[in-house]
Amino acid sequence: MATTVKAETANAQPPMPSWLHGYSWMTRWDLTELRLMLPVIAGVQILAGVGFVLGLGLFFDRMPAPVALYVSTGVVVLNLTLVGLIVGPQFVADQKLAGTYDYLRALPVPATSAAVAWYTVTLIAGLPAAVISLLVAELRYGIAFSVTPSIVPAILLTVFTGTMLGYALSHAVANPMTTRMIAQLLVFWVMGFSPILYPASQQPAWLATLNAWLPFEHMATIVRAGLTTGIVTGIGRSYAIVAVWGVVGTVLAARALVRRA
Amino acid sequence: MSTAERAVGSPPRGSVAAHWFRSLQLMMRFDAGRAREWAPMMAIVQIFMGAGMAITYGFFYPVVTPTIALYIVTGTPTLALIPLGLVMVPIGVSQQKVERTFDFIWSLPAPRSAQAASTFVLWTALSIPGMVAAVAIAAWRYGVSLTVSPSIVPAVLLSALMAISVGFGMALAISSPILVNLITNTLVFVVLLFSPIVFPISHLPSWLAGVHHVLPFYAMAQIVRAGLTTGVVTNLAWWYLVVFVWTVIGWGLTAWVVGRRG
Repeated sequence: MATTVKAETANAQPPMPSWLHGYSWMTRWDLTELRLMLPVIAGVQILAGVGFVLGLGLFFDRMPAPVALYVSTGVVVLNLTLVGLIVGPQFVADQKLAGTYDYLRALPVPATSAAVAWYTVTLIAGLPAAVISLLVAELRYGIAFSVTPSIVPAILLTVFTGTMLGYALSHAVANPMTTRMIAQLLVFWVMGFSPILYPASQQPAWLATLNAWLPFEHMATIVRAGLTTGIVTGIGRSYAIVAVWGVVGTVLAARALVRRA
Repeated sequence: MSTAERAVGSPPRGSVAAHWFRSLQLMMRFDAGRAREWAPMMAIVQIFMGAGMAITYGFFYPVVTPTIALYIVTGTPTLALIPLGLVMVPIGVSQQKVERTFDFIWSLPAPRSAQAASTFVLWTALSIPGMVAAVAIAAWRYGVSLTVSPSIVPAVLLSALMAISVGFGMALAISSPILVNLITNTLVFVVLLFSPIVFPISHLPSWLAGVHHVLPFYAMAQIVRAGLTTGVVTNLAWWYLVVFVWTVIGWGLTAWVVGRRG
């Protein structure tokens, strides 16, 4: 949050509200703007989470316990990143098409407080669904999760990186249709081709290698480490990779927002 | 356009049927012209969806046995057709509504049934290449050799027609484009996860298996699978009937909305 202070002083010439005011306004703005969509988002979230937890069980005659554990801990990552990574960009694309985007950009609010507000909203939108997915998994497959304190940084970082990558996609890609398309492809990539719901060893080697450099598998690793004991190793590297992607997203979004300001 | 305009001016000569088929022909030329823009993209999306799902489903299994592979590969045509009918058709229609071309097309001097028929025929034809490519990729990926029988032709055509008809009827019946988007995406997700398309129906709890005896998705997968395998599918007549009835439901929905807006 060190950049926050700098941004505030740098943009201080016009009558900017304080950072915290901006943050609270933008959080309320986002929530108000999303109020009609929020129940829908919640529905989609629960559907995606519970859908995968229950649906993938049908792939097997009898769901093997390790598969069930993998799926239900991986689903948490889908729930946490869906809004920031997928819904957010499409939402901004709609704003661009509807013409409200420029208006929002012109609001006298520090860019960082708007970004942190959106992060807060994605966090709010992700957490309840993640909990519900876990509860359903527990009921359906009798999994006993062992939640450790490391779940807190894991969730915060996963949502941060997902949201910032989505933020970059929203703001650094000028054409809303391109944004939409990339977001659609991302759903596919994240849900199917990323080893989130299954181990990377079940993929062809080249794909597994590629995924080892992308953030999604590692999001699942750190979240899984916070929910289980004894399955996950090499968390340090996973935290680092997720964090680096979060920074990449932030920088891309910041450059786009500053350039157009 | 000029031919279409001429058709306006002159009242239909000959029988009503001749006029209808003439309209269908014109509408198909008109729709095909517009389709040139998006049809390649659609085929690509279909290949991605169909082959992509077929490939990713395999990732979920610790070991892909030949039986699992056979189910996935023979389910692929269905995987490629359902998103087309249930998502792409409705979204295409709602996009036309947003762009206001929808009303324009409805205002063209051709019977609306001919317009709808043109959409059905065109989309059905366009759905084939992407689907075939998706199956080819899936078969290659899993090293499955299929026993293709002539019955694959009616199976695929009827399945495509059914998916498109239901999607079209749904898109017309729901007026809000946002709602269409939402419902179709939700539907396709639920359908693709909870339908026994890439796995045997015996995995389902019996109540869900019962539901799939009258829904079109398993039925569609069955008739297509019957055209690609021997000895796997039984009770074929029933599945054809289910798919056919759903096609008629799609048409009925379309006719109802078209008549209402008359």
